[in-house]
Amino acid sequence: MIKEIIMPKLGETMEEGYIVRWAKNEGDYVKKGEVLFEVMSDKTNFEIESLYEGYLRKILYPASDTSIAVITVIGYITDKPDEEIPEKPQISEKKVEPKQTEDAISKEAPIIKQEKKSVDEGRIKVSPVAKKLAEEMGISLSDIQGTGEGGRIEKKDVLYYAEILKSQGNPQYEVMQWTPFRKIIADKLTYSKQNIPHYYLSSRFLMDNITKEKEKKSKEKKITYTDFLIFWTARTIKDFPLLNAAVVNNQIRLYKTIDIGLAISIEDGLIVPIIKDVANKTIEEISSLRENIVTRAKNKTLSKEDMGEGARFVISNLGMFGVKNFSAIISPPGVAIMAVGTIEKEPIIKSNNITIAETMWVTLSLDHRIIDGTYGGKFLQTLQKRIENLEI
Amino acid sequence: MREITYRQALNEALKEEMERDSTVFSAGEDIAIYGGAYGVTADLWKKFGDDRVKDTPISESAIVGIGIGAAMTGMRPVVEIMYIDFIPLCLEQIANQAAKIRYMFGGKTKVPLTIRTEGGTGRSLGAHHSQSLEAWLLHIPGLKVVMPSTSYDAKGLLKSAIRDDNPVIFIEHKMLYNIKGPVPEEEYTIPIGIADIKKEGKDVTILSYSRMMLFSLEAAKILEKDGINVEVIDLRTLLPLDMETIKKSIKKTNKVIIVEEDTKTGGTGAEVGMKIMEECFDYLDAPIKRIAGADVPMPKSPVLEKIAIPQIDDIIREVKLITS
Repeated sequence: MIKEIIMPKLGETMEEGYIVRWAKNEGDYVKKGEVLFEVMSDKTNFEIESLYEGYLRKILYPASDTSIAVITVIGYITDKPDEEIPEKPQISEKKVEPKQTEDAISKEAPIIKQEKKSVDEGRIKVSPVAKKLAEEMGISLSDIQGTGEGGRIEKKDVLYYAEILKSQGNPQYEVMQWTPFRKIIADKLTYSKQNIPHYYLSSRFLMDNITKEKEKKSKEKKITYTDFLIFWTARTIKDFPLLNAAVVNNQIRLYKTIDIGLAISIEDGLIVPIIKDVANKTIEEISSLRENIVTRAKNKTLSKEDMGEGARFVISNLGMFGVKNFSAIISPPGVAIMAVGTIEKEPIIKSNNITIAETMWVTLSLDHRIIDGTYGGKFLQTLQKRIENLEI
Repeated sequence: MREITYRQALNEALKEEMERDSTVFSAGEDIAIYGGAYGVTADLWKKFGDDRVKDTPISESAIVGIGIGAAMTGMRPVVEIMYIDFIPLCLEQIANQAAKIRYMFGGKTKVPLTIRTEGGTGRSLGAHHSQSLEAWLLHIPGLKVVMPSTSYDAKGLLKSAIRDDNPVIFIEHKMLYNIKGPVPEEEYTIPIGIADIKKEGKDVTILSYSRMMLFSLEAAKILEKDGINVEVIDLRTLLPLDMETIKKSIKKTNKVIIVEEDTKTGGTGAEVGMKIMEECFDYLDAPIKRIAGADVPMPKSPVLEKIAIPQIDDIIREVKLITS
């Protein structure tokens, strides 16, 4: 069995002591009550007798001019001369066994200061007012180290901890401040999810024709899938005017021109500028406008004009990240948003044969207050047909 | 303001009340010709004569008994029990008669009796002349128990005790008689049942009374230099207890020490502390601390006597512990 030898606390005020000499060498056999080492504290030297019988297995702190905090383990006494001992103990946290305490109290023996513990058999020791205060401040008592009698958490400990939280934060996490931009996004999306009854329609589009067309057109000017989507969506909305609606002040507004919002990710958030009157524009015109607006969004040089009177139909494309499909949150005051996934080759069944085709998943989020499922379904079906066949 | 001793203040209160109201008279052992063991009734006999300042036989039971009888028949007696240590001799009269008569007669009679007595250590008078027995009296419904610590409070409270229609035990302290304090020339009274904040503070509340109040104030003064801001409340009246003032203070400081000269077990602090537990638990930031007399018969040796009761150093030590 291993017994710890500790730097004794020889008086109320003693916080540290010096080992003047060891009366025994490592490996010596020590009897209980024999002088083991000599300690200097404040001004006086004390000879400390061994509390145990056994071999002085290890001296962790030889005599020196360096002070050692009370209750630091300074050596070990073992039953056998070759017993295994711990690597690197620092401060004894073990509660002293009752029998040892008796010994400790006996004449000239060290008084052992126990670690202050705020938790006693699972119960947190806390003063009534500190408990109430912690509750009010939303602070968990288990995080606080009490400094009161016997480790009791007092009011000042709660206030001190609250001060630390305020100045340094919790060591387990950092606190990120809301930017005004982030706050606007948060408020808007929360409003949308809480107030607009969303529902979702998904469809798989075959993209072979559009891919061919894109390659053909791109020889002159680079056209993207998004440009095609804007182009065809605008033309389809023409036949389904509810998709172009906006709900403002409880009023359903049906706009005469078809403007399409584009969800663009920028440095610290998301922005939805509008490309105006797209139903009357050619694919090349749309492409130029789109390029221009994306560039300005990234450079943060969008004007109020670019934002229109708020979003209407919005296209959100995460295809470039390989996202297959996703559901987006409607951007008020608009009533629909179209979430577009990646374009990839998939096996499809055509006339009972399995062939390979370019596919793209599209998910519409719709405001059920304005648009019912059949209307939305017909819109999606029409859009699919037009994109797959490139004709009205 | 002029300063007079605690003894003079009491003497003035008695004289003024006897002048004001012809039903007020004093009776007790050696209070007339000799002027009282501690001189509180000095010169009253010369001024008011045999009828109103009476020496009695050495019978505490008779002294309180005549007081009760006189009170029931329209007088306002102030009787003196030379040492509180003699209270057991007349406890039957106090506990079973004075305290209960008004209740048992359905309010048809009243007992406007003041029992002046004195207690405490400090003169090395041994176990029979040094006790602090106030806690015994707190246990008797129907009594009021008053224990002033200053000349000002002594005068104002004795006048209120005499004018009160119920039996009031007025406990003086043998070591306070010679201590001077400011007392105005003009007439005033202090209501029974109201504590007094003798020093404002924010770190800890000391509740005390009688001589220990002065020790507490002295300790508070020393602690102030160490940056510890003690609020010292003089309870002044132990029964009824001014819980409002106590509560207000504890809400502010959250910590309480009761300093009392009586023996700790079943003492005044036990009652005051328990009331605080009942009414102020949510405001406490540490266990209520009692600094009280040792549970021993009071030793005659002046050295041991000092050890047996709280000292200023004890108060300083405990305040430092509770506020550290």
